[in-house]
Amino acid sequence: MRILVKLSTTLRDCVPGYDAETGLSLDMPEGASVWELARHIHVPPEEIKIVMINGRQSEGTDTLRDGDRVALFPAVGGG
Amino acid sequence: MSMPSETRPLPADELLAFISGHPARRGLPADGATPPDAAHPLFVEREVLADLARLRGCPLRQIMDECLSRHIWPERFRRNYGLFSVMAMRRLLGARVLLAGCGGLGGHLAGLLARLGIGAFVLCDPDSFTESNLNRQAFCTESTLGRPKAEVAAQAVRDMAGHAEVVPHILAVTADNLSALLDGVDVALDCLDSVTDKALLENACLRAGVPFVHGGVLRHEGMVFRNVPVPDSAPDALPDAGLRRLYPQGQSAAELDAARAAGVSVLSVAGTACLMAGQCLRILLGEAAPGLGRLYHLDSGLPELESFAW
Repeated sequence: MRILVKLSTTLRDCVPGYDAETGLSLDMPEGASVWELARHIHVPPEEIKIVMINGRQSEGTDTLRDGDRVALFPAVGGG
Repeated sequence: MSMPSETRPLPADELLAFISGHPARRGLPADGATPPDAAHPLFVEREVLADLARLRGCPLRQIMDECLSRHIWPERFRRNYGLFSVMAMRRLLGARVLLAGCGGLGGHLAGLLARLGIGAFVLCDPDSFTESNLNRQAFCTESTLGRPKAEVAAQAVRDMAGHAEVVPHILAVTADNLSALLDGVDVALDCLDSVTDKALLENACLRAGVPFVHGGVLRHEGMVFRNVPVPDSAPDALPDAGLRRLYPQGQSAAELDAARAAGVSVLSVAGTACLMAGQCLRILLGEAAPGLGRLYHLDSGLPELESFAW
């Protein structure tokens, strides 16, 4: 299944050559979870604080479907 | 959200006669020939309003409110005309906001809200400006280095809006002082730099029934949401706190240290402050539905603005 991944701020450091404008488009096995996706692209799950799937807050254990857009964020907590 | 009013309003004809006869208005078309209305307001310079306040022995902000009620707008709000109705402008002028944190977000917000016409500010920050603040904090200049952020922000707001009531506090928000800081506040703006303190503020706001606007920044990005307490919710019900939803695991000391050392762009700070000011306006003007609003994410580097559902 095809998944579009958008990474925020420090998480982009984990993926050399990441293009913020286009995000990452990748193939994942059917039924993969967000955490499996994160490990696949070498983003440590413990650095991910917020998971959005198709614009809705979700859990790292949630399974993905073909065509999903996943946005991953660390804590964005500065003032 | 109301204006202190100890003195009787001046009758409209006396008010217009004073304005028309003021030396600062010599040479201007004869005001007062027809009373101003919503479509044809009268704009009056600040020295006229200041003299009126002195004559009446009441605060300038009260005079401005009284004039607005008769479609006489302070000249400083001439370019707010068309954005806000008289009623909206009076609401903003009568509003009191708490800025928790006066560094990046708080500094930019203080300026934005003062220019929009917010009338009263409680400014809270324990820190003083350091050189590394120069890249993004609105009131950090080479001449303000070493000075308390809350005091510098207060001075800046007074310079922009001499009518505003400004109370600076050089202290950190704590569980002990929040209920006093929130007293009489219409909206609290979260410009703090720790997830723990942000959650403390949001929870205190929900308990006190004070609308809350969250802002957070990192690198080129920022996040914003509003949380307007739901009236008549069950007293024992756990408030629906956005920060608890966003960061249920909280923030460890090591994570906080890393966040405080991370790069932050002035573009994300200023852009996020604009989004927060927009949410604050919606709340003050009664346009924000109760409960948690959407979560906004700004990437000022691209740029891109998205909104998420909870």
